[in-house]
Amino acid sequence: MQTAIMIVANYPLYIRSVPTQGELKFHYTVHTSLDVVEEKISGVGKALADQRELYLGLLYPTEDYKVYGYVTNSKVKFVIVVDSSNTSLRDNEIRSMFRKLHNSFTDVMCNPFYNPGDPIQSKAFDSIVSTMMVQAF
Amino acid sequence: MAQCVQSVQEFIQDSFVPMVAVLCSEDAERVTRKNSLSFPELLRPFCRLTSEGHLRDPNNQVVVVKGLRISVTGINTRPPQTPEMHKLLSQAVSVCQPPEGSPANVITAGDYDLNISATTPWFETYRENFLQSMPASEHEFLNHYLACMLVVSSHEAVPTEQFLKLSQEQHRIQHSGEFTHPKWFNPNTLKYYVLLHDISEGDEQRAESVYEDMKQRYGTQGCYLLKINSRSGSTGADEQMPDPWSQYLHKTSIHSPVNVPLVFADGVSETHPLQLDQPTDAGYPSNNVSQSVNNVDVTRPEKQASVTSHTTPTPRGTCLTLNDHDHIRQFIQEFTFRGLLPHIEKNIRQLNDQLVSRKGLSRSLFSATKKLFGGGKVPEKSIAELKNTAGLLYPSEAPELQIRKMADLCFLVQHYELAYNCYHTAKKDFLSDQAMLYAAGALEMAAVAAFLQSGAPRPYPAHYMDTAIQTYRDVCKNMLLAERCCILSAEILKSQTKYSDAATLLIKMTTEDSDLRSALLLEQAAHCFINMRSPMVRKFAFHMILAGHRFSKAGQKRHALRCYCQALQVYKGKDWTLAEDHINFTIGRQSFTLRQPENAVAAFRHILINDSKQSAVQQAAFLREYLYVYKSMSQLTSDSSLPQLPLPCLHSSQTRVFFGHERRLAEGEKQAATHVSLDQEFDRDLSQLWRELEEQVVAVANRGTVPITFQPSQCCLNSQTDNLRYPLAVVEEPIIVEMVFRNLLKVPLALSALSLLWKFTPKDFSGPQVVCAPFFFYLARLKLLPHKTGELHVLGVVYNLGTGEVDNSEGSLAGDLMCVRGQQNLEIQGPRLNMTKEEKTSVKYGPDHRLDPIITPPMPLLEVFFINFPTGLLCGEIRKAWVEFVNVSAVPLTGLRVASTHPEFFTFGSATSDLTPVTPTAAEHCSAYKTVAMPPSVATVSLVSPAAFGVTSSDRPIVAEIPLSQGVLGPGEALQIPLWLRGPDREGVHEINFLFYYESTEKTAKLSHRVLRHTAFICASRSLSVKATASRSNTLHGRERESEERQEGEDKNGSMLVFVDVENINTSEAGVREFHIVQVSSSSRQWRLHKCINPVGDKDSKLASRERGKLCFKATRCRAEEATSEKYTFADLNLGNEQIVSSTTPCADFFFRSGLPSEPRRGGVSTGGASQMRRQSGTDEGVTNIVKKCSEVELDIIVLWKAYVVEDNKQLILEGQLHVALQTIGKEACSLSQKEEAQEMVLLKFKPDVPPPVSKPSLEQLSHLIKTCLHYPESYDHPFPQKSLCMVPVTLMLSNCSLAQVDVIVDLRHKTTSPESLEVHGSFSWLGQTQYKLQLQAQEVYRLSLKACFFQAGVYNLGTPRVFAKLAQTSAMCETSQQSAMPALIIINSV
Repeated sequence: MQTAIMIVANYPLYIRSVPTQGELKFHYTVHTSLDVVEEKISGVGKALADQRELYLGLLYPTEDYKVYGYVTNSKVKFVIVVDSSNTSLRDNEIRSMFRKLHNSFTDVMCNPFYNPGDPIQSKAFDSIVSTMMVQAF
Repeated sequence: MAQCVQSVQEFIQDSFVPMVAVLCSEDAERVTRKNSLSFPELLRPFCRLTSEGHLRDPNNQVVVVKGLRISVTGINTRPPQTPEMHKLLSQAVSVCQPPEGSPANVITAGDYDLNISATTPWFETYRENFLQSMPASEHEFLNHYLACMLVVSSHEAVPTEQFLKLSQEQHRIQHSGEFTHPKWFNPNTLKYYVLLHDISEGDEQRAESVYEDMKQRYGTQGCYLLKINSRSGSTGADEQMPDPWSQYLHKTSIHSPVNVPLVFADGVSETHPLQLDQPTDAGYPSNNVSQSVNNVDVTRPEKQASVTSHTTPTPRGTCLTLNDHDHIRQFIQEFTFRGLLPHIEKNIRQLNDQLVSRKGLSRSLFSATKKLFGGGKVPEKSIAELKNTAGLLYPSEAPELQIRKMADLCFLVQHYELAYNCYHTAKKDFLSDQAMLYAAGALEMAAVAAFLQSGAPRPYPAHYMDTAIQTYRDVCKNMLLAERCCILSAEILKSQTKYSDAATLLIKMTTEDSDLRSALLLEQAAHCFINMRSPMVRKFAFHMILAGHRFSKAGQKRHALRCYCQALQVYKGKDWTLAEDHINFTIGRQSFTLRQPENAVAAFRHILINDSKQSAVQQAAFLREYLYVYKSMSQLTSDSSLPQLPLPCLHSSQTRVFFGHERRLAEGEKQAATHVSLDQEFDRDLSQLWRELEEQVVAVANRGTVPITFQPSQCCLNSQTDNLRYPLAVVEEPIIVEMVFRNLLKVPLALSALSLLWKFTPKDFSGPQVVCAPFFFYLARLKLLPHKTGELHVLGVVYNLGTGEVDNSEGSLAGDLMCVRGQQNLEIQGPRLNMTKEEKTSVKYGPDHRLDPIITPPMPLLEVFFINFPTGLLCGEIRKAWVEFVNVSAVPLTGLRVASTHPEFFTFGSATSDLTPVTPTAAEHCSAYKTVAMPPSVATVSLVSPAAFGVTSSDRPIVAEIPLSQGVLGPGEALQIPLWLRGPDREGVHEINFLFYYESTEKTAKLSHRVLRHTAFICASRSLSVKATASRSNTLHGRERESEERQEGEDKNGSMLVFVDVENINTSEAGVREFHIVQVSSSSRQWRLHKCINPVGDKDSKLASRERGKLCFKATRCRAEEATSEKYTFADLNLGNEQIVSSTTPCADFFFRSGLPSEPRRGGVSTGGASQMRRQSGTDEGVTNIVKKCSEVELDIIVLWKAYVVEDNKQLILEGQLHVALQTIGKEACSLSQKEEAQEMVLLKFKPDVPPPVSKPSLEQLSHLIKTCLHYPESYDHPFPQKSLCMVPVTLMLSNCSLAQVDVIVDLRHKTTSPESLEVHGSFSWLGQTQYKLQLQAQEVYRLSLKACFFQAGVYNLGTPRVFAKLAQTSAMCETSQQSAMPALIIINSV
């Protein structure tokens, strides 16, 4: 079963996929999905932008994967790619995963030694993502 | 979707045009052949009508036909079979490449600036060819022949007969049923009779007459006389003739697809016109492209001959003049307006009448009966299993098809409204019959017609199209139709800016069966994404990649490459490294197969130079590929200049340059000077230290001044040194350039045959073969040996790059294959400038001339070797070593000097001492000292001036000159001189720097001097700790007088006791057995050791580990003449039988060099103090001085020792000396100065120190003014029973230690207040005057006779008198109590 988690601000901040050999495919998938994310964000009216739901839901289904998106208020995009055959993950689970991811991402950003824009190399973040992947998938 | 040349309307109109067949007689064909054209080809450029046509619809409304085009083809033209069609399309696409300077439009989306070709001509070509090669289908009539031209030459014997024959032929083809292929619109096809007249050959009269005949027979509207070939072909072709065929005929093979030789008659060469090795030059689409010309044979229509490819361009239309062109144009116009349009109009009317009559029955009834009776016109429909298939066929005269026919006719003549209505009706009928193919066709055309209606009365029914596509694809399995429908629909959607729908449609059409189609459609989809109102750049890129992939699968390498390149623009530099690498890799491969090795190399290079996230295996693959491509490229280009290699990363700024030979470090027991080597790290502090040393030595060499042009010698240049000047290098001395390579890959790289690139001097270089390990820095050192003077510029490095994998099976062969030669330039940027404002605000870099040395004429080169140079010493140990100077150059050297950071560490001996030319080996076991055999006795005294030891005034001799014979060391000469070393006073590892300075005998302008550095490390271990105290002797002068009468005069208060405390603090068990104090010497200008008090005798004092001993000496003042001189008095007191002459080399050398002579130092202090005190009253100054002087002593003690060391079962005797400086009486001085420890922690102060108040002499100092001493008998017998009162005379001696008058008050009655002293003293009393007031002159001794009175026997302390003193001239001061004398006990015995 293949899954990937990516955090992206137009350039990748963090990419993690299981298993690792199909990574190129995930890169392409996630990169392309950014267009959909942008479309979704821009679809929301300016006035509503503040109360916007961060979770974007299923971005688009491909033959093999489901791509879910999430955008922080600072337009950092979280993307989770799940195998379509994985039926155990419902919308709510994905949503809570995103929330968890967002929290730990915020922790990373709070690190005064983190230089915004650099790839994330936090061990704590890594372990959280790992446990999330193990639990979820 | 990319922009097209045509508008959508034009495109659709051109896609569906009336079809006209041509049937030619043989003669007529021959006539046209003169122009290398068939008749249809001849007409083709003129098939578009320029004027408007008119016709009336069934309702008598005039319909205007604008820009109609007709399609004229040979009657036997067949649509190609599927495989051929694929080949044709593929060829068409590959031929059509983007022109070089195509207008690129830049699209800015977000932070992306994309450079995308605005048009996709290949797609348009594909589309056109695809649509034109659609096979005629049963369910639609758009590409069925509407008319047929029968062409007969006027040359023919009886043209009318020929016309008849052709007419019959046509009839046969259409109606006999033999031929399935050419499909005809309706049974009564329009026949148009054309008489072709060759002007150059035929008889015009005859032609006219035949034409007249024809007019009568077929009517004026049914025939035409076409005159062509106004000139004979052979006559010189007019170069200026336009060639309207060119743009049409390069597509010849597609327009007349029958050309594809199905039958290769008479063994024509099998060179297939579709071979992909066609010239692919897009710029010249016409002439070079091989063409096959259709040779239509009327009589044998099945058989075609193929004129195979010929490379020479065939001039076309050579027999035609412009007039002829006009004739043809006129002919087409005539045909269309007089023949075709009326024919169509008639047909529409006819069909309409039929339909109207049939509609007489009510529609509902009509459909009801149809349902009831199963519909006789749908014969196959009754079969149930066919219900959902497309296999349903209507007979050609079925009414539904009549509607469809009418619709198609209306469509062809641009009457779209009627066409739409008809299509719509037909669609309903077909749908209700479940005739899916027909329905889909009707839906498709209904949608198109709806779109084309001007004024747009109804919106474009996109869902019609969707249904049609779905039906075509899923139900009918007809991909061609589905594709056509898709292309049309996408084009229409695009024109309505519904890009997203168009993209979806296009993407849906991509299937596995046709790569070319999928690629083209994906590309168009990508263009749709980028053209959206908010461009979807990433989707664009992704689909471009998909398209590129499909292109490459379809063999369209150029298109694939182009797609990838466009996609790369999106991925480039955005950290999507995996994707970027993938794209770059593909680009590299494609470029390589397309023989664009430069691009391939660039693409691969890009993968490799970045910090890649690929796995090692992947990287190795990339590297191999890169090397392979690179190698093949370098084989192609035989340029002499080598290309730049990207790997491994060369850190230019870390390049180091070293001038000079690599030093031999050790040669037997000789140890060479370390100098500078590339292995040393650069240390800023250290280099500053060397610089200072050099400055000092240069100053000494130039008699005290440093010349303005002075620049420190730099042997090793790196990024931190000052590289503003051009460095100087000497001829015939190598220059070593060290480069830092870094391998960023995870796979090893092999570099071999490295060599430097330089300008100017042609000579020797060498480089080792190295393997650059992954992720590691590698240093490569290359040597350059200049042979001429001049300027040298090192430009770069040339090397072979290969994979570092050691392939055991194939050995070196594989390595050779995977090895390329290239260069990298060394471009060094200087440090960033930050001085002026301009430099601060902008980014500017200074020059860096590290690699541009100037080669100077030969200079002397010195090598220095040390012999017997120790690495470890005991503190204070003296060792003799030898130093050898060798001039290894061909030029004599002079002015040899040495400067050191630790001048006290070594000495070359004083100038006065005789340089015993003993060889080092001989002197090995001798003592370093000069000794004289003498039993221990009173000190021997000698006077020495410090100047003799090179010590002048207060400065420490940092620079020492080394004497050379005649001042010059000739080429190849060597000089050995002894060198004495003394272990540093502090334990630990000491770094001692020597800087040898020398000059050339002839003064060259560029290089004034050279230096050689040496750094020695000495490990000092603890030996002895010597502490000394001086105390004033309390001996009575009286008693002294008895023994040393003669010294009485000058020795007023002139002796003191020196206690020397010696402790063995050597803790190391490493062999040091014991220390022997062999001699104690003194050095002072005023004092000297006089006599040894303890130990007595000729045994030296022995100290084993952790033992301690105390020596006691008596010191006396020097004689007056000695004291006044500047010379130092050395007094030696030997404890053994040998006396070491301390006043010679090396003992005195080290004494002076150690900086111990206390006078200068103390002088400095006192002058500092004096300057402060000058502000005070003169009296104060005097007081302090006087007071100080009286407790001051200036005596340096030199303790000479021997240590017995066992090393390797051999006993060694080490010698050494320790210095102690005594300054104050009573204060302990130590051989280890404690100064530095005190300085370690200095509080950081923000306010300047308040100058300490000028100290009045402290009480402690004042209490030393007067020395007191009681003289009395130790025991006194007195018969108390007889006499109760015992009187004892006591003398109190007061001696003034100071040099001033002192007022003294002696108080005998004084009782200490402390209670215990009362108890101890018991009771006795002084008799007589009990308080005295005296005045003592300078250094005066005064005796005071007192009387003590005792009442009983016992022990009494007489030391009760209190002495108060004050300096006579200071009235303000009160008297200070003087140090009390020691308890003076007297025993009174009762007798």
